[in-house]
Amino acid sequence: MDTRRLSVPATDDGIRAALDALEGLAAAHGLSKAVTWPVEVTLDEVLANVVRHGLAGRGDAARVEIELSLDPGVEPPLCEVLVVDDGPAFDPLAQSDADTTLPLEDRPIGGLGITLVRRLMDGAEYERREGRNHLKLRRRLVAIEA
Amino acid sequence: MEISEERGDGAMVMAPSGRLDSVTSNELEKHVVARIDAGDRRLVLDMAGVEYISSAGLRVLLMAAKRLKDPPAALVLCGLGPSVRTVLELAGFLPLFVIVPARKDALARLRGGA
Repeated sequence: MDTRRLSVPATDDGIRAALDALEGLAAAHGLSKAVTWPVEVTLDEVLANVVRHGLAGRGDAARVEIELSLDPGVEPPLCEVLVVDDGPAFDPLAQSDADTTLPLEDRPIGGLGITLVRRLMDGAEYERREGRNHLKLRRRLVAIEA
Repeated sequence: MEISEERGDGAMVMAPSGRLDSVTSNELEKHVVARIDAGDRRLVLDMAGVEYISSAGLRVLLMAAKRLKDPPAALVLCGLGPSVRTVLELAGFLPLFVIVPARKDALARLRGGA
């Protein structure tokens, strides 16, 4: 298991740094975008929630702790992401799915992020521990047939 | 992310490239809104250069579709790779958009007024 830990500011730059780190970890093991993109989309959704809601207004000192793990020794390779923040308790997995069957005029703008995360990940667990949100996500890196 | 713009056949073709995520989607939104506000009614979004799209990018597509609802074929998407298509499918977006394979098909569709 190849694990990388990083602490990023709760800003756009922090999100970018985290996505770059994930891309770097996957590339180091020869894994292509074709199989890693669902994890990248998920990391973007989760961090966007934390940065724009949970830690919004906290200033430059607010940080998000991220652990990226990749086990290339199993088939298909396993990727795990842990995101930890000390914002208010919030379980994104407890939010109800967006209705993805509504016609255009009834579609609300936004609110699809967690629905996508649920549909893209093989597993997701939330825990509030020691005053911090812990969100763990897991996916086997196989291509999705479009 | 970079966004190239090209006018052809009375339509405006916009081609974002790179990640269409929570950091970069604002840029696309600004471009699309500016075009719609400037009076462009026939837009093509060529997604061939998009690595992947997250809900922030979907938000921009939905906003554009709502603003260009009349006439309904004024927004055409093309060049969807497997990742973009999959996310649109998971979000239930495929029925909401006119989607064709390539840019030339998009321009033909807009020319036909269909």
